[in-house]
Amino acid sequence: MSKEAILNKLSDAVVNGKPDLAKEGANEALTSKIDALDAINNGLVKGMSIVGDKYAARQVYLPQVLMSAHTMYAGLDILLPAIPKSAVADMKRCAVAVVEGDVHDIGKNIVKTMLTASGFDVTDLGKDVPTQTIVDFAKEKKLFAVALSTLMTPTMDCMKAAVDGLVESGYRKNVKVCIGGPPTSPEFAKEIGADHRDADAKDCASWLKEVA
Amino acid sequence: MAEMTHIERVMAALTNAPADRLTTYPIACGVNRKLVNGGITYREWCHDPKLFAQAFIEGQKAFDYDFAIGLMDLSVMAGDLGAGVRMDEQNTPFVDRHIVNSPEDYEKFEVPDIKKGRSAVLLEGTKLYADKLKTEVITAGFLEGPLLALSQSAGAERMFMDMFTNPSAVHKALETMTAYDVEMVKGFGKTGVAGLCWDYLWANYSCLGDDQYEEFEGCKKYAVGLNELTTKEGMAVAIHSCADLPHLDTQIFKFKPAIYSMAYYPLIPGSPSATEVIEKGYADNCLIGGQIDPQLFIRGSVEKITQVTKDLCQEVKTALCKKGLQGKYCIASGCEVPPDVHTKMENIKAVVDTTKQYGKIDW
Repeated sequence: MSKEAILNKLSDAVVNGKPDLAKEGANEALTSKIDALDAINNGLVKGMSIVGDKYAARQVYLPQVLMSAHTMYAGLDILLPAIPKSAVADMKRCAVAVVEGDVHDIGKNIVKTMLTASGFDVTDLGKDVPTQTIVDFAKEKKLFAVALSTLMTPTMDCMKAAVDGLVESGYRKNVKVCIGGPPTSPEFAKEIGADHRDADAKDCASWLKEVA
Repeated sequence: MAEMTHIERVMAALTNAPADRLTTYPIACGVNRKLVNGGITYREWCHDPKLFAQAFIEGQKAFDYDFAIGLMDLSVMAGDLGAGVRMDEQNTPFVDRHIVNSPEDYEKFEVPDIKKGRSAVLLEGTKLYADKLKTEVITAGFLEGPLLALSQSAGAERMFMDMFTNPSAVHKALETMTAYDVEMVKGFGKTGVAGLCWDYLWANYSCLGDDQYEEFEGCKKYAVGLNELTTKEGMAVAIHSCADLPHLDTQIFKFKPAIYSMAYYPLIPGSPSATEVIEKGYADNCLIGGQIDPQLFIRGSVEKITQVTKDLCQEVKTALCKKGLQGKYCIASGCEVPPDVHTKMENIKAVVDTTKQYGKIDW
């Protein structure tokens, strides 16, 4: 199979939400000596980008987006270990987390997908994440950005605690802090000292790419 | 026009008859627990029918609402179905352990005994506040729709992907959720409430398209049938939208609720404003509620929320007048008033008092 055909297979697998095809395509890419980063960017990520655009245009909805994300990760699991360490080191590192006290993570997972599809090296800290874990991880891994999410009002204060913790740690000036989730707003982001708030995962990724 | 009673005002609004002023109901539910016995925890409030009811009764005394609508939280059904519910002292309870780990698990759901668990607390508590308040205000129960109950039990992400890959398994579980809802509707029908407010959470374009929503909730065997049963059991159908970009054509034109409450999501392009909803005819045969930013109840000053309420009254009065409608808009919060310990109770009062003053219908 030609390189173009393999890349198309990866992209199509993501667009159509077919994880088995993504795994197959990823293995074929490696067997055919296609550069893993090329396969990711011009195969999986290209597909996810198409899905992101279709979602924004309301041509596809959450079930398809989630299946596409699942498919992209199935391919990434195979391709990421094949990327040279030097290439990974050049990627900007980010973390996503649902703050302490909240476990609603669907929005966080979509942000993770869009950041990954935008070329960031993303660590998922999970849900109900203690503030200190976010702060320590950001500092230790020298993160470029942390994206924090919550669905519930009472846990919004944990976003402020995370920003305050980053300030106290001395790392705040090195890291961008994005927040999201239904109860948040740009005004709230400003109030707590976060850098950005978006209502849309794709816009969050675009903003981070812009400031990177 | 002479001042109407709460019930007269709501009935006028529902029938598009002349009324003294717009109706109002900041969706203050869990936050009213702060008025019971000097303040009780969320856990206490949502496990004891007497305390649950007392909060609505105290809320009515303190704020003089036009409605009493008994939202507990959105994990009542999932918890009684066996999901793990985290119950922090002062936070809304939420599911932290889902119970679907494989497609086969969708077939294992069983309708729980609604005389036990928090389903029973909800029904008993609803009856208690309905008994006390039904001659004063319009009362309604609050119930999760089948797709919401399933997403809470299975995990939303899992369910959405299974809708794509294993739709028949999801439908199997939805049939059980609907059977559970049928039991609950019949239970609410015995409480004496005037209406039942449904939360059909996923009827929004951020999550599902029209076809998907129709297949998984909006059809006769799920929501349409449940709405019909609600009416048959003697209750008016109300719907609360928790989300941006709502499926208004389905939820208002097709479901034909008496009352529809809009969420507040001004940041999402395409989410309709109060004026747009009225202009597009959604208020013609339905009392629309909305759309004050719920965060203002915590973070806004009395002056700020008063101004926002005043502006909203003016906006909807203008739109209603242009459309030839009377009081078919209820000044409400766009989602529940946050049941947070820091919520400013004086802001709830400010919304009600401002509506009384600036919501007067004078055309």
